[in-house]
Amino acid sequence: MKMLEKFDFNAGFFAACALLIFLVGATITTAYPAFTEDSWSKPNDGLHQYSESQLNGREVYKREGCWYCHTQQIRTLEPDTKRYGWRGVDAPISVPSEYVNDYPHFLGTRRIGPDLARVGGKYDKSWHRAHFMNPRDLVPGSIMPPFPWLIADDNGRDFDDLVNYLQTLGRSRDWRPAHDYEQ
Amino acid sequence: MSSTTADRLKEFPSARWFIISAAMFFVITTFVGLLVATKFVWPEFMGTAKWLTFGRMRPMHVNGVIFGWLLAADMGVIFYLVPKLCGTGLWSEKLGLFTVVLFDTIILCAIFTTSLGITQGLEYAELPFVLDVGVTLAWVLFGLNVFMTIAKRKHKKIYVSLWYTMGAIIWTAIVYITGNFAVMFFTGVNQANLNWFYVHNAVGLIFTPLGIAIAYYFIPKAANAPLYSHKLSMIGFWSISFVYVWTGAHHMIHGPISQWLQTVSIIFSALLIIPVWTVVVNFFGTVSGRWDQVRRDPVLKYLMAGTTFYLLTCFQGPMQALRSVNAITSKTDWVVGHAHMALFGGFSFFVIAGTLYAVPLMVRRPLYSVKLGNHAFWFMLTGGLIYFFSLWTGGFIQGLQWNDASIPFVNTVISMQPYWVARLVAGTLIFTGAVVYLYNLSRTFWGPDTEEAPATETASVVQRG
Ligand code: HEC
Ligand code: HEM
Repeated sequence: MKMLEKFDFNAGFFAACALLIFLVGATITTAYPAFTEDSWSKPNDGLHQYSESQLNGREVYKREGCWYCHTQQIRTLEPDTKRYGWRGVDAPISVPSEYVNDYPHFLGTRRIGPDLARVGGKYDKSWHRAHFMNPRDLVPGSIMPPFPWLIADDNGRDFDDLVNYLQTLGRSRDWRPAHDYEQ
Repeated sequence: MSSTTADRLKEFPSARWFIISAAMFFVITTFVGLLVATKFVWPEFMGTAKWLTFGRMRPMHVNGVIFGWLLAADMGVIFYLVPKLCGTGLWSEKLGLFTVVLFDTIILCAIFTTSLGITQGLEYAELPFVLDVGVTLAWVLFGLNVFMTIAKRKHKKIYVSLWYTMGAIIWTAIVYITGNFAVMFFTGVNQANLNWFYVHNAVGLIFTPLGIAIAYYFIPKAANAPLYSHKLSMIGFWSISFVYVWTGAHHMIHGPISQWLQTVSIIFSALLIIPVWTVVVNFFGTVSGRWDQVRRDPVLKYLMAGTTFYLLTCFQGPMQALRSVNAITSKTDWVVGHAHMALFGGFSFFVIAGTLYAVPLMVRRPLYSVKLGNHAFWFMLTGGLIYFFSLWTGGFIQGLQWNDASIPFVNTVISMQPYWVARLVAGTLIFTGAVVYLYNLSRTFWGPDTEEAPATETASVVQRG
């Protein structure tokens, strides 16, 4: 009780206690896993370094805010593995080792559009071109914005790089039995 | 008794400038929110100009409302209530004014950087490095001013609002540095973990304690009643300072992150019930028996509605963290409804109440119009309720549809349309309320001189030593 009274009068002591009690949880949930969870920083076997073009593709993805509408994670839920599967094959559940080259990470919190973790190789480049020009031409009812400037500016370099990046998504897991990925 | 504008506008300059600039950003950035909401209903809307695309307007809205409006308004009201509770002036008004100019400059820059697509690609941490440094500096200066004011206080006893303010300043420093600087050294899941530590604690350890500090001060003031229980305030404070910080990983439940971390976040999310109930019981206990005052006074209306939304938010939070519920609501519009109830319905209402009570005292004359104050409240409350309920309903339904893999994704988008239209209506009401609020405040500041008696403060019901 004496100690509690001290909080009523001693600002310095109070502030120090407030900091310490907060630091317990802060350390255990951030610094501790960063140093103990090896899988968070170990790449999986199929993972390649991004090429320069793919890195620029990630820049475009970041700049245009694709990540506000698309997550990149197949969760440990059957509906996720089924919905994002391919011709009856379930999409593999995402694991930390897939993401170690991702800076920034694009795991996302919002699915205004579908998850993209396994979209690599799902569509070919001409599909993407038409889709970025106007998504509603291909998918009526879509609310994805059009991105004509990716194709129009700079001879479509941003578009090329973005598609190069999108085609890598999920590929490190090489999960389709027929390896029938579009280029 | 009349006084000229010049000698009325002398006291609390830093608080005043923070508040009025925040109110302007409130109008501007909720308008941006309205434009973003329009794009859900009409995706081509302003869609082919690249700086107006969804992916750039959304962070403009989010950073604008949370920093330009809410945090700035909080800082303004804190610059008022800390000196009041300490029985002295603010340590340095000059430094305070510099903080306002610095902070508002950062927000103006942020409007440009977001529309140019300059971003760090992490939620709530989009602003580029230079601006992050600026925000950190502004926060340090703000904290310095508050702590120095507390150090030279005349009233020895430290009131609850000061606890929460000090807590917020210290925690925020660490949370902000983690979310904006520490993340630069990590990739992948590691970075995501730090990112969500920041996102979650930005709400929980920045806006929550500042909002509660404000409510703890203005509820007894506006109700003219002593605080219900000092003991409850203590339990509330120490439990939130221990519990809140553990919950960041609940943004990644079922995601590619260690199970133990998910479980920890779920358990601590449930424990949040303790700090929330103690605070809410304390607030309602203070006002109980005085509901007739609430009917007349916009300040109390905002405070009571804010308390109710805070309670509901923190009832939803632990529910959403349960694995079974999370499997439905996560990543849907439900979460957006939840986020707006917390930051708009809860903490924005608290700070609006604070400004409506404090500004007349700062400028030594009554609020321009109590009637407009009430109108703005009803606009915001109605808009808020429509916003929250439509997105919870729509989001929940969409979550159920997603769980049936035979429904094509785009069909689940199409079935959201009615709810997004409702959100647009709601947003229009909220925006109207914001405009009325800004008008009322600026007339109180700068309107022509009146013969009316200046605003008076209720007796010192806020406990002092
Ligand atoms: C406003 C939200 C929004 C934004 C921003 C957005 N999308 Fe989409 N996206 C959608 C929606 C909704 C769909 C589903 C309908 C469709 O296919 O158009 C979709 C579908 C897709 C698909 C097809 C996925 C599949 O499995 O069929 C790809 C690929 C895609 N988006 C990539 C992107 C990229 C890359 C960006 C950034 C340049 C982006 N999207 C920005 C909402 C968005
Ligand atoms: C006119 C009123 C408003 C409208 C129409 C509006 C609209 C929106 C929209 C459309 C989004 C994007 C949601 C999504 O990605 O699905 C959003 C996000 C957000 N808004 Fe608002 N908003 C309004 C007011 C506010 C206010 C006043 C605040 C806070 C003080 C606020 C805080 C936020 C936050 C924090 C997010 C991010 C949510 C998340 O990540 O889950 N908004 N808003």
